[in-house]
Amino acid sequence: MPAGGDGIEQFDQEMDQMMRMIKLLASASVIAVAAMGAAPAFAAGTTAGSSINNTATVNFSVGGVAQAPVTSNTATFVVDRKISMTMSEPGNSTTSVVPGSSNQVTTFLLTNTSNATLDFGLALAQQAGGAAVHGGTDNFDVTAPTFWVNTGASVGSASYDPANSIQVTYIDEVAADASKYIFVLANIPAGRANGDVAGVALTAQARDGGAAGTQGAISTETVGANTAGVDTVFADAAGATDAARDGLISARDDYTVAAPVLTVVKTSKIISDPLNGTTNPKMIPGASVEYCIQVANGAGGATATSPSITDVVPAQTAYDATFGIKINGTITGGVCNADGTAGGTYTAGTTTVAGTLNNLAGSASGTLYFRVTIN
Amino acid sequence: MIRILIASLLMASPVVALAANNVEVVSEMFVEKAVVQAGSQPKIVLVKQKSGPPGTKLVFTHSYHNGGQAPAANFAMTNPIPSGVDYIGSDDAFATVSVDGGKTFGPLGQARVRASDGALRPARPEDVTDVRWALKASIPVGGTGKFSFRATVK
Repeated sequence: MPAGGDGIEQFDQEMDQMMRMIKLLASASVIAVAAMGAAPAFAAGTTAGSSINNTATVNFSVGGVAQAPVTSNTATFVVDRKISMTMSEPGNSTTSVVPGSSNQVTTFLLTNTSNATLDFGLALAQQAGGAAVHGGTDNFDVTAPTFWVNTGASVGSASYDPANSIQVTYIDEVAADASKYIFVLANIPAGRANGDVAGVALTAQARDGGAAGTQGAISTETVGANTAGVDTVFADAAGATDAARDGLISARDDYTVAAPVLTVVKTSKIISDPLNGTTNPKMIPGASVEYCIQVANGAGGATATSPSITDVVPAQTAYDATFGIKINGTITGGVCNADGTAGGTYTAGTTTVAGTLNNLAGSASGTLYFRVTIN
Repeated sequence: MIRILIASLLMASPVVALAANNVEVVSEMFVEKAVVQAGSQPKIVLVKQKSGPPGTKLVFTHSYHNGGQAPAANFAMTNPIPSGVDYIGSDDAFATVSVDGGKTFGPLGQARVRASDGALRPARPEDVTDVRWALKASIPVGGTGKFSFRATVK
Protein backbone atom coordinates (compact mmCIF):
# COMPACT_ATOMS: atom_id res chain seq x y z
CA MET A 1 0.00 0.00 0.00
CA PRO A 2 2.47 2.70 -1.01
CA ALA A 3 0.16 5.63 -0.69
CA GLY A 4 0.71 9.12 -1.87
CA GLY A 5 4.42 9.54 -1.14
CA ASP A 6 5.92 12.32 -3.18
CA GLY A 7 8.91 11.33 -5.20
CA ILE A 8 9.53 7.94 -3.68
CA GLU A 9 12.44 6.34 -5.38
CA GLN A 10 14.22 3.10 -4.94
CA PHE A 11 16.14 3.20 -1.70
CA ASP A 12 19.79 3.81 -2.39
CA GLN A 13 21.96 1.25 -0.69
CA GLU A 14 24.87 3.70 -0.47
CA MET A 15 24.27 5.60 2.67
CA ASP A 16 25.91 8.94 3.16
CA GLN A 17 27.25 10.32 6.40
CA MET A 18 23.83 11.56 7.42
CA MET A 19 22.27 8.17 7.04
CA ARG A 20 24.90 6.58 9.20
CA MET A 21 24.02 9.03 11.90
CA ILE A 22 20.37 8.14 11.49
CA LYS A 23 21.28 4.52 11.84
CA LEU A 24 22.94 5.25 15.17
CA LEU A 25 19.87 7.09 16.36
CA ALA A 26 17.61 4.33 15.17
CA SER A 27 19.55 1.63 16.95
CA ALA A 28 19.48 3.67 20.13
CA SER A 29 15.70 3.76 19.98
CA VAL A 30 15.60 0.03 19.22
CA ILE A 31 17.49 -0.70 22.42
CA ALA A 32 15.00 1.35 24.37
CA VAL A 33 12.07 -0.50 22.87
CA ALA A 34 13.65 -3.90 23.36
CA ALA A 35 14.12 -3.14 27.03
CA MET A 36 10.43 -2.31 27.34
CA GLY A 37 9.39 -5.47 25.56
CA ALA A 38 7.29 -7.56 27.90
CA ALA A 39 4.44 -9.79 26.73
CA PRO A 40 6.11 -13.20 26.75
CA ALA A 41 5.02 -15.24 23.78
CA PHE A 42 4.28 -18.89 24.44
CA ALA A 43 3.30 -21.53 21.99
CA ALA A 44 -0.18 -20.67 23.18
CA GLY A 45 0.36 -17.07 22.11
CA THR A 46 1.09 -13.73 23.64
CA THR A 47 -0.34 -13.42 27.11
CA ALA A 48 -3.90 -12.17 27.15
CA GLY A 49 -4.25 -8.59 28.27
CA SER A 50 -0.77 -7.57 27.22
CA SER A 51 -0.48 -4.57 24.92
CA ILE A 52 1.19 -4.38 21.57
CA ASN A 53 2.55 -0.86 21.28
CA ASN A 54 3.90 0.45 18.02
CA THR A 55 5.90 3.60 17.49
CA ALA A 56 7.94 4.83 14.57
CA THR A 57 10.82 7.28 14.67
CA VAL A 58 11.54 9.64 11.80
CA ASN A 59 14.89 11.15 11.06
CA PHE A 60 15.22 13.91 8.50
CA SER A 61 17.17 17.01 7.72
CA VAL A 62 16.22 20.48 6.67
CA GLY A 63 18.63 22.55 4.64
CA GLY A 64 21.38 20.01 5.25
CA VAL A 65 20.95 20.17 9.01
CA ALA A 66 19.82 17.04 10.81
CA GLN A 67 16.71 17.67 12.85
CA ALA A 68 15.79 16.09 16.13
CA PRO A 69 14.07 12.74 15.52
CA VAL A 70 10.29 12.82 15.47
CA THR A 71 8.43 10.06 17.23
CA SER A 72 4.96 9.06 16.21
CA ASN A 73 2.12 8.51 18.60
CA THR A 74 1.95 5.01 20.07
CA ALA A 75 -0.68 2.83 18.47
CA THR A 76 -1.88 0.25 20.96
CA PHE A 77 -3.51 -3.10 20.53
CA VAL A 78 -4.64 -5.35 23.38
CA VAL A 79 -4.20 -9.10 23.06
CA ASP A 80 -7.50 -10.86 23.66
CA ARG A 81 -7.89 -14.07 25.60
CA LYS A 82 -7.92 -17.05 23.30
CA ILE A 83 -9.19 -20.07 25.18
CA SER A 84 -8.15 -23.46 23.94
CA MET A 85 -7.05 -26.67 25.56
CA THR A 86 -6.50 -30.29 24.81
CA MET A 87 -7.34 -33.46 26.71
CA SER A 88 -5.84 -36.82 26.00
CA GLU A 89 -5.83 -40.26 27.52
CA PRO A 90 -2.06 -40.80 27.62
CA GLY A 91 -2.08 -44.54 28.34
CA ASN A 92 -4.24 -45.21 25.30
CA SER A 93 -5.37 -48.49 26.81
CA THR A 94 -8.16 -49.69 29.02
CA THR A 95 -7.78 -50.01 32.77
CA SER A 96 -7.99 -53.68 33.66
CA VAL A 97 -9.99 -54.18 36.84
CA VAL A 98 -11.39 -56.96 38.96
CA PRO A 99 -14.95 -56.95 40.28
CA GLY A 100 -15.42 -55.38 43.69
CA SER A 101 -12.13 -53.46 43.56
CA SER A 102 -11.79 -49.86 44.78
CA ASN A 103 -9.96 -46.76 43.56
CA GLN A 104 -9.29 -47.99 40.06
CA VAL A 105 -7.45 -45.35 38.04
CA THR A 106 -7.94 -43.89 34.60
CA THR A 107 -5.54 -41.14 33.59
CA PHE A 108 -6.15 -38.01 31.52
CA LEU A 109 -3.78 -35.25 30.45
CA LEU A 110 -5.13 -31.69 30.25
CA THR A 111 -3.04 -29.05 28.50
CA ASN A 112 -3.89 -25.37 28.56
CA THR A 113 -3.11 -24.06 25.10
CA SER A 114 -4.72 -20.71 25.85
CA ASN A 115 -2.78 -17.50 26.25
CA ALA A 116 -4.02 -17.08 29.81
CA THR A 117 -4.00 -18.93 33.10
CA LEU A 118 -7.23 -20.84 33.57
CA ASP A 119 -9.05 -22.98 36.09
CA PHE A 120 -10.86 -26.04 34.77
CA GLY A 121 -14.06 -27.50 36.13
CA LEU A 122 -14.30 -31.28 35.94
CA ALA A 123 -17.18 -33.61 35.20
CA LEU A 124 -17.19 -37.34 34.61
CA ALA A 125 -19.85 -38.85 32.40
CA GLN A 126 -20.57 -42.56 32.35
CA GLN A 127 -21.10 -44.03 28.96
CA ALA A 128 -24.57 -45.46 28.40
CA GLY A 129 -24.00 -48.44 26.18
CA GLY A 130 -22.28 -48.42 22.82
CA ALA A 131 -18.73 -49.16 21.80
CA ALA A 132 -16.08 -48.23 24.32
CA VAL A 133 -13.03 -46.32 23.14
CA HIS A 134 -10.61 -49.19 23.73
CA GLY A 135 -12.84 -51.96 22.47
CA GLY A 136 -15.74 -53.86 23.91
CA THR A 137 -19.22 -52.60 24.63
CA ASP A 138 -20.08 -50.47 27.62
CA ASN A 139 -22.42 -52.43 29.87
CA PHE A 140 -21.95 -51.12 33.41
CA ASP A 141 -21.10 -47.99 35.36
CA VAL A 142 -18.32 -47.51 37.85
CA THR A 143 -19.28 -46.06 41.23
CA ALA A 144 -18.13 -43.12 43.34
CA PRO A 145 -15.74 -41.53 40.82
CA THR A 146 -13.36 -38.92 42.25
CA PHE A 147 -10.68 -36.69 40.74
CA TRP A 148 -7.10 -36.62 41.96
CA VAL A 149 -3.88 -34.81 41.06
CA ASN A 150 -0.38 -35.66 42.14
CA THR A 151 1.40 -33.38 44.57
CA GLY A 152 4.81 -32.93 46.14
CA ALA A 153 7.42 -35.31 44.84
CA SER A 154 5.06 -36.69 42.21
CA VAL A 155 3.94 -33.44 40.58
CA GLY A 156 4.07 -33.92 36.83
CA SER A 157 4.18 -37.70 37.07
CA ALA A 158 1.98 -39.57 34.65
CA SER A 159 1.31 -42.25 37.26
CA TYR A 160 -1.11 -41.82 40.12
CA ASP A 161 0.78 -41.74 43.41
CA PRO A 162 -1.52 -42.56 46.34
CA ALA A 163 1.06 -41.21 48.79
CA ASN A 164 1.52 -37.86 47.02
CA SER A 165 -1.85 -36.78 45.70
CA ILE A 166 -4.92 -34.84 46.68
CA GLN A 167 -8.54 -35.13 45.72
CA VAL A 168 -9.83 -32.16 43.74
CA THR A 169 -13.13 -31.01 42.34
CA TYR A 170 -11.54 -28.70 39.77
CA ILE A 171 -8.08 -27.99 38.39
CA ASP A 172 -6.65 -24.81 39.79
CA GLU A 173 -4.52 -22.25 37.99
CA VAL A 174 -3.14 -23.97 34.91
CA ALA A 175 -0.72 -21.53 33.30
CA ALA A 176 -0.53 -21.02 29.55
CA ASP A 177 1.16 -24.01 27.93
CA ALA A 178 1.08 -25.98 31.20
CA SER A 179 -0.26 -29.52 31.52
CA LYS A 180 -1.83 -31.47 34.33
CA TYR A 181 -2.40 -35.17 34.76
CA ILE A 182 -5.86 -35.87 36.13
CA PHE A 183 -6.55 -39.24 37.73
CA VAL A 184 -10.09 -40.54 37.93
CA LEU A 185 -10.52 -43.07 40.74
CA ALA A 186 -13.62 -45.21 40.77
CA ASN A 187 -14.95 -48.40 42.31
CA ILE A 188 -15.95 -51.49 40.36
CA PRO A 189 -19.19 -53.17 41.41
CA ALA A 190 -18.90 -56.74 42.59
CA GLY A 191 -20.38 -59.40 40.39
CA ARG A 192 -19.23 -58.00 37.06
CA ALA A 193 -18.15 -60.64 34.58
CA ASN A 194 -14.97 -60.99 32.62
CA GLY A 195 -14.96 -58.63 29.63
CA ASP A 196 -17.53 -56.22 31.03
CA VAL A 197 -16.67 -52.63 30.10
CA ALA A 198 -17.46 -49.31 31.75
CA GLY A 199 -16.75 -46.34 29.51
CA VAL A 200 -16.14 -42.92 31.05
CA ALA A 201 -15.64 -39.46 29.57
CA LEU A 202 -13.88 -36.70 31.46
CA THR A 203 -14.85 -33.16 30.49
CA ALA A 204 -12.92 -30.08 31.54
CA GLN A 205 -14.58 -26.69 31.29
CA ALA A 206 -12.52 -23.51 31.00
CA ARG A 207 -12.98 -21.22 33.96
CA ASP A 208 -11.40 -17.89 34.67
CA GLY A 209 -8.11 -18.19 36.49
CA GLY A 210 -6.46 -15.64 38.65
CA ALA A 211 -7.21 -16.55 42.25
CA ALA A 212 -5.29 -19.58 43.50
CA GLY A 213 -7.36 -21.93 45.61
CA THR A 214 -10.65 -20.64 44.24
CA GLN A 215 -12.55 -22.02 41.30
CA GLY A 216 -13.13 -19.15 38.90
CA ALA A 217 -16.35 -18.44 37.05
CA ILE A 218 -17.07 -20.31 33.85
CA SER A 219 -15.30 -18.48 31.05
CA THR A 220 -17.63 -17.01 28.48
CA GLU A 221 -17.04 -15.80 24.95
CA THR A 222 -17.41 -12.12 24.30
CA VAL A 223 -20.66 -11.70 22.43
CA GLY A 224 -21.15 -9.04 19.82
CA ALA A 225 -18.52 -6.68 18.54
CA ASN A 226 -14.92 -6.68 19.60
CA THR A 227 -14.31 -4.37 22.51
CA ALA A 228 -11.27 -2.27 23.31
CA GLY A 229 -10.61 -4.39 26.39
CA VAL A 230 -9.66 -8.02 26.67
CA ASP A 231 -12.25 -10.08 24.85
CA THR A 232 -12.55 -13.83 25.12
CA VAL A 233 -12.55 -16.10 22.11
CA PHE A 234 -13.06 -19.85 22.28
CA ALA A 235 -10.66 -21.69 20.00
CA ASP A 236 -10.83 -25.19 21.44
CA ALA A 237 -11.24 -28.15 19.14
CA ALA A 238 -14.01 -30.70 19.48
CA GLY A 239 -13.30 -33.29 22.13
CA ALA A 240 -14.63 -36.83 22.43
CA THR A 241 -18.03 -35.70 23.65
CA ASP A 242 -18.03 -31.93 23.14
CA ALA A 243 -18.13 -29.56 20.19
CA ALA A 244 -15.50 -27.18 18.88
CA ARG A 245 -15.31 -23.67 20.34
CA ASP A 246 -17.51 -24.39 23.35
CA GLY A 247 -15.00 -23.87 26.15
CA LEU A 248 -15.14 -27.60 26.88
CA ILE A 249 -12.73 -30.39 26.16
CA SER A 250 -13.27 -34.08 26.76
CA ALA A 251 -11.62 -37.45 26.33
CA ARG A 252 -12.79 -40.99 26.85
CA ASP A 253 -11.32 -43.95 28.64
CA ASP A 254 -12.72 -47.19 29.99
CA TYR A 255 -12.48 -49.88 32.60
CA THR A 256 -12.51 -53.49 31.46
CA VAL A 257 -13.28 -56.27 33.90
CA ALA A 258 -10.70 -59.03 33.91
CA ALA A 259 -12.22 -61.66 36.22
CA PRO A 260 -11.46 -65.33 36.56
CA VAL A 261 -14.14 -67.45 34.94
CA LEU A 262 -14.26 -70.27 37.42
CA THR A 263 -16.34 -73.42 37.11
CA VAL A 264 -16.55 -76.02 39.84
CA VAL A 265 -17.53 -79.62 39.31
CA LYS A 266 -17.76 -82.26 42.01
CA THR A 267 -17.44 -85.93 41.03
CA SER A 268 -17.43 -89.10 43.07
CA LYS A 269 -16.33 -92.67 42.49
CA ILE A 270 -16.51 -95.79 44.65
CA ILE A 271 -13.05 -97.04 45.47
CA SER A 272 -13.92 -100.24 47.30
CA ASP A 273 -16.52 -101.99 49.42
CA PRO A 274 -16.05 -104.52 52.23
CA LEU A 275 -17.42 -107.41 50.14
CA ASN A 276 -16.12 -106.81 46.59
CA GLY A 277 -12.95 -105.01 47.43
CA THR A 278 -11.83 -102.79 44.54
CA THR A 279 -13.48 -104.95 41.89
CA ASN A 280 -16.80 -103.49 40.85
CA PRO A 281 -17.36 -102.03 44.31
CA LYS A 282 -20.91 -101.15 45.32
CA MET A 283 -22.29 -98.25 47.35
CA ILE A 284 -22.90 -100.23 50.52
CA PRO A 285 -22.14 -99.39 54.16
CA GLY A 286 -18.43 -99.55 54.73
CA ALA A 287 -17.62 -98.64 51.13
CA SER A 288 -14.90 -96.08 50.45
CA VAL A 289 -15.92 -93.20 48.20
CA GLU A 290 -13.60 -90.59 46.68
CA TYR A 291 -14.95 -87.11 46.07
CA CYS A 292 -13.08 -84.87 43.65
CA ILE A 293 -13.70 -81.15 43.29
CA GLN A 294 -12.55 -79.79 39.94
CA VAL A 295 -11.92 -76.05 39.58
CA ALA A 296 -11.34 -74.68 36.07
CA ASN A 297 -10.63 -71.12 34.91
CA GLY A 298 -12.10 -70.41 31.48
CA ALA A 299 -10.16 -69.24 28.45
CA GLY A 300 -9.40 -65.52 28.73
CA GLY A 301 -10.19 -65.42 32.42
CA ALA A 302 -7.94 -63.43 34.70
CA THR A 303 -5.69 -65.47 36.96
CA ALA A 304 -7.52 -66.71 40.02
CA THR A 305 -5.16 -66.20 42.91
CA SER A 306 -5.05 -68.99 45.51
CA PRO A 307 -8.53 -70.33 44.93
CA SER A 308 -9.75 -71.95 48.13
CA ILE A 309 -12.21 -74.79 48.34
CA THR A 310 -14.35 -75.87 51.27
CA ASP A 311 -16.67 -78.85 51.23
CA VAL A 312 -18.75 -80.38 53.96
CA VAL A 313 -18.39 -84.16 54.13
CA PRO A 314 -21.75 -85.72 53.19
CA ALA A 315 -24.01 -86.93 55.98
CA GLN A 316 -23.82 -90.60 56.83
CA THR A 317 -20.19 -90.71 55.77
CA ALA A 318 -16.97 -90.51 57.72
CA TYR A 319 -13.87 -88.60 56.57
CA ASP A 320 -10.98 -90.93 55.73
CA ALA A 321 -8.11 -89.39 57.67
CA THR A 322 -5.72 -92.08 56.50
CA PHE A 323 -6.10 -91.06 52.87
CA GLY A 324 -6.17 -87.38 53.80
CA ILE A 325 -6.67 -84.59 51.30
CA LYS A 326 -4.89 -84.25 47.98
CA ILE A 327 -4.71 -80.93 46.13
CA ASN A 328 -3.48 -79.52 42.81
CA GLY A 329 -4.21 -82.67 40.88
CA THR A 330 -4.88 -82.70 37.16
CA ILE A 331 -7.95 -83.57 35.13
CA THR A 332 -8.12 -85.68 32.00
CA GLY A 333 -11.33 -85.85 30.06
CA GLY A 334 -13.33 -84.63 33.00
CA VAL A 335 -11.89 -87.33 35.24
CA CYS A 336 -9.65 -86.50 38.16
CA ASN A 337 -6.19 -88.00 37.97
CA ALA A 338 -4.68 -89.44 41.12
CA ASP A 339 -1.72 -87.10 41.02
CA GLY A 340 -2.58 -84.58 43.74
CA THR A 341 -0.24 -83.83 46.56
CA ALA A 342 -1.08 -83.91 50.24
CA GLY A 343 -2.48 -80.67 51.57
CA GLY A 344 -5.58 -79.01 52.89
CA THR A 345 -7.20 -79.43 56.27
CA TYR A 346 -10.13 -81.30 57.80
CA THR A 347 -12.09 -79.72 60.62
CA ALA A 348 -13.86 -82.44 62.59
CA GLY A 349 -16.20 -80.05 64.40
CA THR A 350 -17.86 -78.96 61.17
CA THR A 351 -16.88 -82.06 59.17
CA THR A 352 -15.44 -79.67 56.59
CA VAL A 353 -12.68 -80.30 54.11
CA ALA A 354 -10.74 -77.23 53.00
CA GLY A 355 -7.80 -76.57 50.71
CA THR A 356 -6.12 -73.79 48.78
CA LEU A 357 -5.02 -74.50 45.22
CA ASN A 358 -2.19 -72.96 43.26
CA ASN A 359 -3.00 -69.88 41.15
CA LEU A 360 -5.13 -70.71 38.15
CA ALA A 361 -4.45 -68.77 34.97
CA GLY A 362 -6.96 -68.65 32.16
CA SER A 363 -7.68 -72.14 30.77
CA ALA A 364 -5.96 -73.79 33.76
CA SER A 365 -7.58 -76.20 36.19
CA GLY A 366 -6.87 -77.97 39.45
CA THR A 367 -8.46 -80.47 41.82
CA LEU A 368 -8.95 -81.27 45.47
CA TYR A 369 -9.97 -84.79 46.41
CA PHE A 370 -10.57 -86.77 49.57
CA ARG A 371 -12.20 -90.04 50.64
CA VAL A 372 -15.03 -90.93 52.98
CA THR A 373 -16.40 -94.20 54.30
CA ILE A 374 -20.13 -94.84 54.11
CA ASN A 375 -21.58 -95.47 57.54
CA MET B 1 -11.62 -0.21 -1.74
CA ILE B 2 -9.28 -0.81 1.17
CA ARG B 3 -7.56 2.48 0.61
CA ILE B 4 -10.83 4.37 0.69
CA LEU B 5 -11.75 2.65 3.90
CA ILE B 6 -8.47 3.60 5.55
CA ALA B 7 -8.76 7.16 4.35
CA SER B 8 -12.16 7.53 5.93
CA LEU B 9 -10.94 5.98 9.15
CA LEU B 10 -7.94 8.26 9.17
CA MET B 11 -10.11 11.32 9.04
CA ALA B 12 -11.93 10.16 12.10
CA SER B 13 -8.78 9.42 14.07
CA PRO B 14 -6.97 11.93 16.22
CA VAL B 15 -4.09 13.71 14.57
CA VAL B 16 -1.10 14.02 16.82
CA ALA B 17 0.62 17.27 16.13
CA LEU B 18 4.29 17.46 16.95
CA ALA B 19 4.94 21.06 16.24
CA ALA B 20 8.58 21.10 17.26
CA ASN B 21 9.91 19.55 14.10
CA ASN B 22 7.00 20.30 11.86
CA VAL B 23 6.96 16.73 10.59
CA GLU B 24 4.04 14.82 11.97
CA VAL B 25 3.53 11.08 12.05
CA VAL B 26 0.27 9.40 12.96
CA SER B 27 0.52 5.70 13.70
CA GLU B 28 -2.45 3.39 13.61
CA MET B 29 -3.26 -0.30 13.71
CA PHE B 30 -5.92 -2.14 11.80
CA VAL B 31 -7.12 -5.71 11.86
CA GLU B 32 -7.30 -7.59 8.58
CA LYS B 33 -10.60 -9.34 8.27
CA ALA B 34 -11.75 -11.66 5.54
CA VAL B 35 -15.33 -10.96 4.53
CA VAL B 36 -16.91 -13.90 2.81
CA GLN B 37 -18.67 -12.95 -0.37
CA ALA B 38 -21.10 -15.17 -2.16
CA GLY B 39 -19.67 -16.58 -5.35
CA SER B 40 -16.21 -15.05 -5.14
CA GLN B 41 -13.02 -14.92 -3.13
CA PRO B 42 -13.28 -13.56 0.41
CA LYS B 43 -12.58 -9.86 0.47
CA ILE B 44 -9.97 -8.58 2.89
CA VAL B 45 -11.03 -5.44 4.71
CA LEU B 46 -9.23 -3.46 7.36
CA VAL B 47 -11.10 -2.84 10.56
CA LYS B 48 -10.21 -0.41 13.28
CA GLN B 49 -10.16 -2.71 16.28
CA LYS B 50 -8.46 -2.27 19.61
CA SER B 51 -8.02 -5.89 20.60
CA GLY B 52 -7.74 -9.37 19.15
CA PRO B 53 -6.56 -12.87 20.03
CA PRO B 54 -3.26 -14.49 19.01
CA GLY B 55 -3.27 -15.13 15.29
CA THR B 56 -4.91 -11.81 14.48
CA LYS B 57 -3.43 -10.21 11.37
CA LEU B 58 -2.58 -6.57 11.96
CA VAL B 59 -1.74 -3.76 9.58
CA PHE B 60 0.38 -1.00 11.08
CA THR B 61 0.30 2.33 9.28
CA HIS B 62 2.27 5.54 9.63
CA SER B 63 0.95 8.66 7.91
CA TYR B 64 3.40 11.50 7.68
CA HIS B 65 2.95 15.13 6.85
CA ASN B 66 5.55 17.80 6.40
CA GLY B 67 3.93 20.73 8.17
CA GLY B 68 7.07 22.80 8.22
CA GLN B 69 8.29 25.68 6.07
CA ALA B 70 11.04 23.77 4.27
CA PRO B 71 11.40 20.46 2.44
CA ALA B 72 12.39 17.51 4.63
CA ALA B 73 15.38 15.69 3.17
CA ASN B 74 16.95 12.35 4.02
CA PHE B 75 13.62 11.22 5.36
CA ALA B 76 13.89 7.82 7.07
CA MET B 77 11.25 6.26 9.27
CA THR B 78 12.25 3.38 11.51
CA ASN B 79 9.78 1.09 13.22
CA PRO B 80 11.00 -1.53 15.70
CA ILE B 81 8.66 -4.50 15.47
CA PRO B 82 6.70 -4.58 18.73
CA SER B 83 7.10 -7.59 20.93
CA GLY B 84 4.02 -9.78 20.67
CA VAL B 85 3.83 -9.75 16.89
CA ASP B 86 5.58 -11.52 14.03
CA TYR B 87 6.47 -9.41 11.02
CA ILE B 88 4.87 -10.57 7.77
CA GLY B 89 5.93 -7.94 5.28
CA SER B 90 5.49 -4.43 3.98
CA ASP B 91 3.51 -3.50 0.90
CA ASP B 92 6.07 -0.79 0.27
CA ALA B 93 8.56 -2.46 -2.02
CA PHE B 94 11.39 -0.13 -1.03
CA ALA B 95 11.10 -0.94 2.68
CA THR B 96 14.21 -2.47 4.20
CA VAL B 97 14.39 -4.61 7.27
CA SER B 98 16.80 -5.40 10.07
CA VAL B 99 17.22 -8.80 11.69
CA ASP B 100 19.82 -7.61 14.20
CA GLY B 101 17.89 -5.16 16.32
CA GLY B 102 18.34 -2.21 13.97
CA LYS B 103 22.11 -2.32 13.51
CA THR B 104 21.91 -2.99 9.78
CA PHE B 105 19.13 -2.74 7.25
CA GLY B 106 18.61 -4.33 3.86
CA PRO B 107 16.23 -6.44 1.82
CA LEU B 108 14.91 -9.47 3.68
CA GLY B 109 16.10 -11.73 0.88
CA GLN B 110 19.72 -10.87 1.66
CA ALA B 111 19.46 -11.09 5.45
CA ARG B 112 20.95 -14.02 7.32
CA VAL B 113 20.44 -15.05 10.91
CA ARG B 114 22.30 -17.49 13.07
CA ALA B 115 20.24 -20.57 13.82
CA SER B 116 20.30 -22.27 17.20
CA ASP B 117 22.92 -24.70 15.88
CA GLY B 118 25.22 -21.77 15.08
CA ALA B 119 24.86 -21.99 11.29
CA LEU B 120 23.71 -19.04 9.21
CA ARG B 121 20.39 -19.43 7.48
CA PRO B 122 18.28 -17.12 5.33
CA ALA B 123 16.15 -14.85 7.48
CA ARG B 124 12.44 -15.40 7.62
CA PRO B 125 9.85 -12.65 8.06
CA GLU B 126 9.43 -13.50 11.76
CA ASP B 127 13.15 -12.81 12.26
CA VAL B 128 12.66 -9.16 11.37
CA THR B 129 13.33 -6.85 14.30
CA ASP B 130 12.89 -3.48 12.58
CA VAL B 131 11.45 -2.13 9.37
CA ARG B 132 12.60 1.10 7.75
CA TRP B 133 11.29 3.31 5.00
CA ALA B 134 13.80 5.76 3.57
CA LEU B 135 12.99 8.30 0.86
CA LYS B 136 15.68 9.55 -1.47
CA ALA B 137 13.65 12.55 -2.55
CA SER B 138 12.81 15.34 -0.17
CA ILE B 139 9.29 15.76 1.09
CA PRO B 140 8.04 19.15 -0.02
CA VAL B 141 6.25 21.52 2.27
CA GLY B 142 2.79 20.11 2.87
CA GLY B 143 3.74 16.75 1.40
CA THR B 144 2.13 13.63 2.84
CA GLY B 145 2.45 9.90 2.51
CA LYS B 146 1.92 6.66 4.26
CA PHE B 147 3.92 3.54 5.04
CA SER B 148 2.56 0.26 6.29
CA PHE B 149 3.56 -3.22 7.31
CA ARG B 150 1.69 -6.31 8.30
CA ALA B 151 2.24 -8.59 11.27
CA THR B 152 0.52 -11.40 13.15
CA VAL B 153 -0.22 -11.39 16.86
CA LYS B 154 1.93 -14.12 18.37
